[in-house]
Amino acid sequence: MIEAFKILLFISLLFFPISAFSAGGVKFKHIQSVYFDEKGIGLKEPEGVACNEKTLLIVGDTANDRLLLYNFQERSLKAGMEIKIPQLSNPIRVQINSRGEIFALDGKKRRIIRLSPEGTFKSYVDAEGVPSPSAFVPRSFKIDVDDHIYILDIFSGRVLVLNPEGKYQRQIPFPKEYGFFSDLAVDSRGNLLLIDCIKAMVFFAGKDSNSFSPLTKSLREYLNFPTGITTDRRGTIYIVDENGSGIVMLSQDGSFLGRQLSMGWNEGLLYYPTQVCINEKGEVFIADRGNSRIQIFMVVQ
Amino acid sequence: MVLRFKWFFWPILIGSLLLVSLAYSQNKFRLKPDAKGKLCLSCHDNFKEKLKKQFVHTPVKSGECSECHNPHAASHGKLLDEDANKICFKCHENIVSKNPKSTHKVVSEGNCVKCHDPHASNNKFTLLKTGNELCFDCHKNIASAVAKVKFRHNPVEKGCINCHDPHASAKAGHLLKDDLVALCISCHRPDRPNFVKQHMNYPVAKSDCSSCHDAHGSDKGGILFDNVHIPVANKVCNQCHEGPTSPDPLKTKKAGFELCRGCHSSMMNDTFNKNRVHWPLLDKVGCLNCHEPHASSQKKLLRGEMKSLCGKCHSDTLERQEKLAAMEQQEKVAAKGKQEKTSIAHNPVQEGNCSACHSPHASDIGFLVNRPSILELCGTCHEWQKHTSHPIGEKIIDSRNRNLTLQCLSCHRSHGTGNRQMIPFPTITDLCVQCHKQFKR
Repeated sequence: MIEAFKILLFISLLFFPISAFSAGGVKFKHIQSVYFDEKGIGLKEPEGVACNEKTLLIVGDTANDRLLLYNFQERSLKAGMEIKIPQLSNPIRVQINSRGEIFALDGKKRRIIRLSPEGTFKSYVDAEGVPSPSAFVPRSFKIDVDDHIYILDIFSGRVLVLNPEGKYQRQIPFPKEYGFFSDLAVDSRGNLLLIDCIKAMVFFAGKDSNSFSPLTKSLREYLNFPTGITTDRRGTIYIVDENGSGIVMLSQDGSFLGRQLSMGWNEGLLYYPTQVCINEKGEVFIADRGNSRIQIFMVVQ
Repeated sequence: MVLRFKWFFWPILIGSLLLVSLAYSQNKFRLKPDAKGKLCLSCHDNFKEKLKKQFVHTPVKSGECSECHNPHAASHGKLLDEDANKICFKCHENIVSKNPKSTHKVVSEGNCVKCHDPHASNNKFTLLKTGNELCFDCHKNIASAVAKVKFRHNPVEKGCINCHDPHASAKAGHLLKDDLVALCISCHRPDRPNFVKQHMNYPVAKSDCSSCHDAHGSDKGGILFDNVHIPVANKVCNQCHEGPTSPDPLKTKKAGFELCRGCHSSMMNDTFNKNRVHWPLLDKVGCLNCHEPHASSQKKLLRGEMKSLCGKCHSDTLERQEKLAAMEQQEKVAAKGKQEKTSIAHNPVQEGNCSACHSPHASDIGFLVNRPSILELCGTCHEWQKHTSHPIGEKIIDSRNRNLTLQCLSCHRSHGTGNRQMIPFPTITDLCVQCHKQFKR
């Protein structure tokens, strides 16, 4: 009996660090909020935010029809350079690839543009060579570690996978039963995730899979109207609950880990957030659209 | 010998117990021979009249009052032996088939007495009323619609049960006796020349009849729904579909919104010139997410009433409205008729008039609101200048956030919060001290 108790105690101690530092115990600590560009012009309903493993922070300042480039290093924010070009209005989603190129989805024209790291227009991402049906409407897009571009095409009900140059590679049709997909994520292993804002469900497709299947059942209990999804390096899934003004975290297998933040106007609170980005350092950048600011948090255990 | 005893003992014991239990259940109150219902009627003599009715419930007829009632004491009203909502299922357990596609709400609630008299009636199946009169007692909307329509559907006139099963349906929704199409073509044979002609030679035998026709009747010929899409009314199906002799005649000529753009180009151009488009308009289904392509009972060919239509996707908003309405009702009861000055819920939202504030196709500003600013939007109903002396407007910065100016949504949430005046905090003080921190206690 005593021996059995000792074994049980040993096992408990063995697994203690795992449970103590799993995402279940994660909290978001507010670090800073971004309100202005370098000239002191305020942000207006920003919907897009992207970060990379270095120091770059890109903001899609949606209602101001522009992008803003910041450097966030050692908890200090620098610059806030404006990129305003005729090819871009209403940027609703932004991304950066490994070469520092900037991508933005124009919410009005519903086209993705590619900019140089300095912010000059390079090209449209028009999915060259896409098979029939050739028409596509991007609701969102993501770029993986190898610079492949994934487009959430709501018009033809599929995810288009493009090579780094923007040429069509393959497509994955949406699953049969779904409500409406508002965002997609691609994790560090190349697995794809879709967030269904109506059913409050996450769908999954393995790296080379040609179909999606449900990863979770309805998460309505935790989510009101989810419109953004991303993952961190470890594969933890972060979902933006737009109407519920919070962030819900799931493990790789889709199990619920927790919910962070709530609705409000003061710093540290959200008001209809849209996109979220997490870097390797555990810094979380949230496009706090309704509060016309970007909020930066640190993931703490 | 011992073995033999064991062999016979158990069957005999079980058999005896069964016999005793059967005897007990047959006369569990040990009534005197020939007593039964007669004994009850010696006091409940008003039942004698009832028993003269044409159709008498079998246990009543055989005087087995104790099948349902306990003559001594019971935990349920009317000395019922079981909960009133469950007692009928003791005998009528198969009234609802296994895994039904739809069940009548009164049946699932066990509210059988809504339709049946448990003792006797002059109507078959001891129904309270005959024919449609019984159904129309609850389904008043259908009753009034059916009474008014110019073109009536014969089976409706004859009786709802021509198409509906009053208890449950194992085959279809809406308590339909069969799959909708199968039900329709059992009378309307699709190979008849007139049928083919009326449907412009399109092979519609497997199509959903209710996408054009109102089975309860309508003011339009062919009992089409009252609002008919012009190409359907003009019988030019090939304006949207491939020709009737093509390999795939029911296929639409274009996908999604692109099909509708052909005729509705002006509206579409306006929509796509806005900063924000309602995303479902751009998906695979496009306009048909909200509009019927052929005919509808709703104006603008909407797929349903706006509340349920918008609520289909925005269920979080709809659920909140239901909670708020219940809360409002509870508080009204608690206030014992005293009129509250302010409400918990916003009227247009409660009524499902979403387009009072939102533009369903597109808008230049957030939340697809249909005015250039929130102040202007709220001002269409509320004279906010008179509502408050608090500074408000484009020039007044919100002290909580430098990028926001003060407007109605700085203090109120238009879809309600559960607090009076739709404020996001339990009390007005809690709200005010968000900015006026010096007064915080």
